[in-house]
Amino acid sequence: MSAKSLSKGKGRVKKKLSGSKSYLLNWSKTFRGRLTIICLIGLCLIPLLTQNRYYLGIFITAMIFSIFAASWDFLAGFTGQVSFGQAIFFGISGYITSYFIRYLYLPWWASLLIGSLVGVAFGLLIGIPALRLKGPYLGLATMVLGLIMFYTFLNVKFEPWLGGSEGISKIPQISRNAVETYYIHLIFMITSFLILIWIGKSKMGTVFKSIRDDDIGAEASGINLTKYKLIAFMISAFFAGIAGGLFAMHNRGVNPGVFQPLYSFYAIVMASLGGIATISGSALGSYFFWFAAELFSEWPDVSVFIFAIILILVIRFAEHGILKPVLERLKDIWDLVLGK
Amino acid sequence: MGVILEVKNLTKKYGGLTAVNDFSFEIKRGEFIGLIGPNGAGKTTVFNLISGFQRPNSGTIRFDGKDITGMAPYKIVNLGVARTFQLVRSFKLLTLLDNISVSCLSSRGKKVAKGHGVDEYASTILASVGLVDKARIPPIILPHGDLRKLQIGKALGTNPQLLLLDEPFSGLSHEEQDVITDLIIKLHDDGVTVFMTGHVLRELMHLVPRVIAMHQGKFIMDGTPQEVAKNKIVLEAYLGKGEVFA
Ligand SMILES: Nc1ncnc2c1ncn2[C@@H]1O[C@H](COP(=O)(O)OP(=O)(O)O)[C@@H](O)[C@H]1O
Ligand SMILES: [Mg+2]
Repeated sequence: MSAKSLSKGKGRVKKKLSGSKSYLLNWSKTFRGRLTIICLIGLCLIPLLTQNRYYLGIFITAMIFSIFAASWDFLAGFTGQVSFGQAIFFGISGYITSYFIRYLYLPWWASLLIGSLVGVAFGLLIGIPALRLKGPYLGLATMVLGLIMFYTFLNVKFEPWLGGSEGISKIPQISRNAVETYYIHLIFMITSFLILIWIGKSKMGTVFKSIRDDDIGAEASGINLTKYKLIAFMISAFFAGIAGGLFAMHNRGVNPGVFQPLYSFYAIVMASLGGIATISGSALGSYFFWFAAELFSEWPDVSVFIFAIILILVIRFAEHGILKPVLERLKDIWDLVLGK
Repeated sequence: MGVILEVKNLTKKYGGLTAVNDFSFEIKRGEFIGLIGPNGAGKTTVFNLISGFQRPNSGTIRFDGKDITGMAPYKIVNLGVARTFQLVRSFKLLTLLDNISVSCLSSRGKKVAKGHGVDEYASTILASVGLVDKARIPPIILPHGDLRKLQIGKALGTNPQLLLLDEPFSGLSHEEQDVITDLIIKLHDDGVTVFMTGHVLRELMHLVPRVIAMHQGKFIMDGTPQEVAKNKIVLEAYLGKGEVFA
């Protein structure tokens, strides 16, 4: 490379950096930006209020499912591929992560990475039907694949290898220290969100969104749909895998239940609650969901009922997320407080 | 000048209907040529076959000497054949700039965009189709005329050698038609081979020096617009539709 083109490249990088700086500055002044920053600061301060393992555990569960829901939102919201089998990636990584920790004594982070990468391989596999199927057919196909995984892992014939209904248990937690565990999950959530949002804003994200808006048009623009759809599935599966591995460690084990369609529905409901194609909305949806579940934990039937109602509402009004109108109300209150 | 597109004995059937029937023609590099025929003649189907969106039952299509029959659409685009659609298509939630960027991110578009950066290259194209002041808005709020321009811009992002325009004037006012006409003439002057359909001959009459006429999937004739307008079969095909010069 010539010196000239090098210096030109440097100039471009500088321009880009200052561009993203001013973007961040503008973002932090918007309502959504402020709300995000306040929530992040709040999350950082939680362990100062309580070091109780149980309470922190609720937050940790919500963070794990934020990542899981965001992985679904990435695929559905950005690429338009609606999967009802997101639990496949979540579950397989949960199993692989647990296996490597329990039987091969690998450190948790290495096991988690391996688990997530196996998730990516499944993303590639599950992505293949997505090349031919659209809309509800893709949803159905991915759901059936999830059920196949569920019954395979549950099957007594495979018990010697897959662990049967017991799965894998007695996995050590990430850390004995609850506060440390909390912060590790917080870092995982923030990093995952930043990466997913960054991909969404990148050129590759633009291509993903073009496939979502008009796949025939994207192909007419010279885009290799096969390649991009598979990449989207693999990225989505990676983050679902991170969530699945963290979930297994948090619960100190994993069983075939993680492959249930219910878990895929969790991701869909949480992402839709916060607003599709927003990524960060997934956190909102997940916290909302887990706090509500906690409130009604004495009456598990009620929480199933509420879940069903939310699911119906989401299907009916999913486009902008259920929480968006609530957020807008919140913005009015915010403006009122500031005397605007 | 060599042959850029060679279509031989092309046939496409939909059930019992033969939409394109043993159709053959050639286009030379740098030509400006029209494909006419009344509604339902099979023009769009011919474009769908050339661009790979449909597979022919028989026949071959060669672009630049290379057999592209039945190839994946995106591969054909990346060889240098871009198309627009009779019914406008756009990426509804992306800005106009991003609508164009997508084609600039195709493997063929990338090669040109590399030197400039994708955004810069896309804005140049947006400017050339007269939409640069709307770069940051999504296409859902655009008037139909602008959507037709956007279509052409999206095709240009892939840096085509051969541009297939399916009814580029459809649904436009006379003023809007003139704007698109100027745009197409400019593209042709820049060296792009232009092949366009129209079901109203008048629109193509003063624009292209050569016209291929088809009817019920069959080739009828190939000549200047004046010759075609005098052809008996063409006149009969349009008879009662009052569309030839309408
Ligand atoms: N996908 C399709 N399925 C069945 N018939 C089709 C399809 N596309 C076109 N046709 C039929 O093929 C014939 C040619 O259509 P088309 O190529 O759109 O004509 P033109 O573009 O000249 O108006 C018409 O009779 C049309 O109804
Ligand atoms: Mg047509």
